[in-house]
Amino acid sequence: MKHFKKTKTESKKHQKVLNELIMVLGGEKVLSAIEDRICYSYDGTKQKALPDIVVRPGCTSDVSNTLKIANKYEIPIYARGAGTGLTGGAVPLMGGIVLDLKSMNRIIEICPEDFVATVEPGVVTKHFQDEIAKFDLFYPPDPSSAAFSTIGGNVAECAGGITGLKYGVTRDYILALEIVLSDGSVINTGRKTLRSVTGYDLTRLFIGSEGTLGVFTRITVKLIPKPKKIETLAAYFSDRDDAIDAADLIIDNNILPRTLEFMDQMTISAVRGYGEAPIGEDVKALLLIDIDGTEESISHELPVVENACKEKKAFKTKVAETPRERESIWAVRRSISPALYNIAPHKINEDICVPRSKIKEILQKVDQINEHQTIYIANFGHIGDGNIHVNIMYNDDPGQAALAESIVNKIMREVVAVGGTISGEHGIGNKKSQFMELEISPKELAIMKRFKGFFDPKGIMNPGKMFI
Amino acid sequence: MKQETHNNKIQAKVFEELCDAIGRENVFDNIEERVCYSFDATKEKSIPDLVIRPHSTEQVSNTVSIANQHNIPICPRGAGTGLSGGSVPIKGGIALDLKNMNRIVELNARDLTVTVEPGVVTKDLQDEAAKHRLFYPPEPGSAGFSTIGGNVAECTGGMTGMKYGVTRDYVLALEIVLPDGSVINTGSKTLRSVAGYDLTRFFVGSEGTLGVLTKITLKLLPLPAKIGTVMSYFKDIDSVLNATDSIIVKNHLHPRSLEFVDKTCIGAVRGSAEETIPEEAGAFLLIDVDGNEKNVANDISRIEALCRENSALKTSIAKTDDERDALWDVRKSVSPSLFKIASMKFNDDFCVPRSKVREVLKKVYELGKTYSIQVAAFGHIGEGHIHLNVIYNDGKEMDLSVHKLVSQILKEVVLIGGTITSEHGVGDAKAEFIGLELAPHEIEIMKDLKKMFDPKGIMNPGKIFI
Amino acid sequence: MSTDWKTEVDKCSKCGKCHTVCPVFLETGDESMVSRGRISLAEALRDKQIVYTDKLRDYVYSCKKCMRCRTVCPSGVDYEVIISALLSGVAENMGIPLLPRIIFRYILPRRILFDLMLKVSSKIQWLIPMKRRGQMRHLPLLFMGKRWIPTLAKKTALQKFRKTKKLKNPKMRVGLFTGCLINYIYVDIAEAVVDVLNRMNIEVVVPQGQLCCGTPSSTMGDFKSTKKLADVNKEVFESQKLDAIVTACATCTKAIKMDYLRTLGPSWQSMSDKIYDISEFIDKYCGDEYETKPIDEKVTYHDPCHLLWVRGISDEPRNVLKKSSDFVEMDQAGACCGGGGIFTIIHYDLTLKMLERKVASIERSGADTVATNCPGCVMQIADGFAGKNSKIKTTHSIQILQKALVDSGINKEK
Repeated sequence: MKHFKKTKTESKKHQKVLNELIMVLGGEKVLSAIEDRICYSYDGTKQKALPDIVVRPGCTSDVSNTLKIANKYEIPIYARGAGTGLTGGAVPLMGGIVLDLKSMNRIIEICPEDFVATVEPGVVTKHFQDEIAKFDLFYPPDPSSAAFSTIGGNVAECAGGITGLKYGVTRDYILALEIVLSDGSVINTGRKTLRSVTGYDLTRLFIGSEGTLGVFTRITVKLIPKPKKIETLAAYFSDRDDAIDAADLIIDNNILPRTLEFMDQMTISAVRGYGEAPIGEDVKALLLIDIDGTEESISHELPVVENACKEKKAFKTKVAETPRERESIWAVRRSISPALYNIAPHKINEDICVPRSKIKEILQKVDQINEHQTIYIANFGHIGDGNIHVNIMYNDDPGQAALAESIVNKIMREVVAVGGTISGEHGIGNKKSQFMELEISPKELAIMKRFKGFFDPKGIMNPGKMFI
Repeated sequence: MKQETHNNKIQAKVFEELCDAIGRENVFDNIEERVCYSFDATKEKSIPDLVIRPHSTEQVSNTVSIANQHNIPICPRGAGTGLSGGSVPIKGGIALDLKNMNRIVELNARDLTVTVEPGVVTKDLQDEAAKHRLFYPPEPGSAGFSTIGGNVAECTGGMTGMKYGVTRDYVLALEIVLPDGSVINTGSKTLRSVAGYDLTRFFVGSEGTLGVLTKITLKLLPLPAKIGTVMSYFKDIDSVLNATDSIIVKNHLHPRSLEFVDKTCIGAVRGSAEETIPEEAGAFLLIDVDGNEKNVANDISRIEALCRENSALKTSIAKTDDERDALWDVRKSVSPSLFKIASMKFNDDFCVPRSKVREVLKKVYELGKTYSIQVAAFGHIGEGHIHLNVIYNDGKEMDLSVHKLVSQILKEVVLIGGTITSEHGVGDAKAEFIGLELAPHEIEIMKDLKKMFDPKGIMNPGKIFI
Repeated sequence: MSTDWKTEVDKCSKCGKCHTVCPVFLETGDESMVSRGRISLAEALRDKQIVYTDKLRDYVYSCKKCMRCRTVCPSGVDYEVIISALLSGVAENMGIPLLPRIIFRYILPRRILFDLMLKVSSKIQWLIPMKRRGQMRHLPLLFMGKRWIPTLAKKTALQKFRKTKKLKNPKMRVGLFTGCLINYIYVDIAEAVVDVLNRMNIEVVVPQGQLCCGTPSSTMGDFKSTKKLADVNKEVFESQKLDAIVTACATCTKAIKMDYLRTLGPSWQSMSDKIYDISEFIDKYCGDEYETKPIDEKVTYHDPCHLLWVRGISDEPRNVLKKSSDFVEMDQAGACCGGGGIFTIIHYDLTLKMLERKVASIERSGADTVATNCPGCVMQIADGFAGKNSKIKTTHSIQILQKALVDSGINKEK
């Protein structure tokens, strides 16, 4: 999508909305210059659509007022964190208002005694992790984008990240939310306690709702003690299946690594050269493994993990000796997603999740589906959870985009056929809405739409996402 | 508390319809059977008009669909061990006993998932998982007899929540029969899925008011190699809290369980267990840690030392499984033993931020004194989760002051930033108190959502909302 | 240079990783003030969806050109190509404000006029004729406004070192590119460079015809002026027989070592290879030889953007300081001090925020002195402390070495 969708002409309504927003929020927080609108037109999918207005709220009441106005005039509203999403969640497909929540980025409180913290949605995940680390506490969800994506965005998509196998996903750490609903009313869900079952779990209903039900303005999360120590091991394989077998064997040995990341040959070729130690041509698959815990637990687990890799024919294993080496190993992993553009200029990024026992099968299916010389597929991801990022890379030549789409379509069918899900953590957005019905039956889809209709009767919240 | 009878007799025609649809052998209308399904662990009673004991999703669906047509209340029931009246058919109608749906449908060790029917007893699942060296952590005190279905319906937490979280964190997918009899599948049998709204967790903890869970897919973990247990007696609650702080907050040890009981509880269990309890003990902490051999040994000795530093009167470390069971017996017999003190008990299971436990307990004991009613506290102190038992003998006047006391306590809890229920659910026992915690418009939203799923209001009526 | 920016922008995957390092974005959180946003604006310009406006110019000028983003970009976008194209587009389409234009086109290339103008300007206060966010108090190179900047030297560095001090048997012969700040204000830095190198038996030439490196004009998109300056500098330095060229200014190093490769083309490569930051040079050629008696002060080091993020130089200045003082590290040594060019004028408020953070980091380190390798940073940080009446001194790291250097063996002047 190279071109902006046609924007609304500066109609009377639009002008009214703008004036009202400026009157209520003040001119500083309301942007309408084309230059500003362009800067809030995209996300990590490279899609673009131009919003009419960008609002940068400073507090909950700013958000509430904006929603009241949007609701009154039935103008679409798109909540946006750092705009790093991979399914188009933050792209203002139908114009209207982008609500840039980066401007609400305060850590409101950290309670080290209660293992609880409350933040505004615009706090960058890594920044938050660093702040709580000062108290030796740990917020595990760690998407690759943690250094620049926001907690609000993570909650909206229910991001998983690389620590999911051992520590679970974002959902498992959210205790309470302050939410502004589409009519501007504010609700509080959940409780700032480690447990609460009072009434229905609205908190979880809103987690992963991709900005289609309401806007989070405060997020209370659960923290856990920071593991005392982390060790990192990279294992190099000459066969993809060996790497998968090794992952299985590690878990069969009753070890849940903090992270268990897999990279296939195509992925390796894209990031080759990013790390300090270049990866050899003979490496056909790679496992990156973090073990965390105490000195004692690590001294027990690390050899088991290393032996499991060797038993499954890893031709080389390397344990990071220094924090710098560790960082360098992980820098490679974090570079993958964007570095894939080194293979081809266009990418369709899928994040399927299958039962772990089906990984080999699904990867074989993916190979079979892609017999095209011009399209490259790179697979990597959180193999312990069965969450594989399947990236279909294609070039500008005519017909390639359609070809790539047809491949995605076939892959999605296979994924659902083996009992998998079309999205492990990126969400649906507009990129995957067409595949929803593969996985979700019409009946369940209808229920979801009723939820949507209930919370957002005018359909102003992130329209064009999740459902077709 | 309450005992009700109903006269909205199910018509013979409907009875026949039910028998045709799900087999006469699964439908019970004799009073003996109905009485047996009239209560739960709250001691509340209300006799259903009919008991239905389905064996399959289809039978559940047929039952619900017929009930819906004829506006008959349905009260799903696991083992009936709940502590908030969730499975008491207070509006009569059908008690839907799911204990017969108790198959472990498939356990997939490689995928770390298991799918079960709702009637599987939690401990049975844990034992089955253990055969594969796998672990299902949520462990309510009733795990030996309560069902997974009930645990999911209430979103129970249990003993291991400190380290492992609560039931919600382990539910991946559900098969649900909705009030119109239709069957939906939510979630995915994968460790992650974010396709669409999270209907799965929306149903977790919905207390049978939105639909009937007929299949449940759970996430499993590798079984920890070893569990170590320390029991430590203290002279009072203050020392317990100091020890807790130094274990959790100062040293960041992350025990599998950290259970405390107060003086009244100790009085009740004294003598009923093998363990000898020191005379001057006014509270104890029971701590489990798990992990590998070395880790456990290390943590146990550190924790024991920390307890001693905080003036523990006595500490015992379990050396064998039997010794461990003996220590846990003390803890597990607390709740039933309280009936030795008086015949009635009201179970509060509030949760406050851990830093507020001291404050809230002080308030609670003061209130007990004010009302001259005995209160006993025990619970998962690591999470700030307190089971507060108000113990009393039946009687009209007493009922009234107990009610006043309970509502006073819950008010204080909410004021301090706590929640009125952390794992027992609202049921009908606490329905009148949700307004303390939830704003009116939030309750309205929940009610509207209830209506969305259950327009005729047949699913477990009278629960959660008044 | 405007040939490939149009394709370069397509490389951006919009992943947002530049958020993590951009010193301006970290302050503002404005998507329009980070590389990804500016790249999307460049795309829109290319696709004729927008034209050059005041607002666009502000967003372009909001870039500090520290090039951190390029060091983390996983898609390998050469952001410098894009920002340069934007700057030059701004200059071509909107013109350059009259005063800077006169300076860049007529004064900078003429040493005598520049000298004269600075003398005059030291007596009067100017506001440049542009209206924008923040107050425009000064053009730091040229004018003094409300900010505390050091007085102009009576005798410029070039004047002072008109004659090369000949050594008998020099180990090497190097040229010093002074840069404007050192030439006009921080002459003592030039003195330290010459003194230290001489004492290490290295002959230092200060070629007289050298001019401004061209960064101020590039910053405003006036690449024509930059090219003129570069041509002269090329001629001046190529006419000397030098083993190396050193500078004590991080920005000048970036300009003449890196930017000139684009401005002047591949013919500059052999000269570029010979250009060093002063600490880099000492560490490389004299690292093991010189002796010091560390001064009795805690000294910390601030990494200038143009040295750390453009050239990856961080160990070398620290090596020098560790030998010369009681070195302490500060937190976020690589965070921008906020100084530098047009940015400080257009976005004065942000400049101050960054400066505050830097000052706080330095204070936390417990150092008595902060050393750095860029006179621009020296001026900025010194301003931060002057405002606070702090006792912490700001200096160039070569001046620390100058004090600590012991004259024995190699160090002995022959």
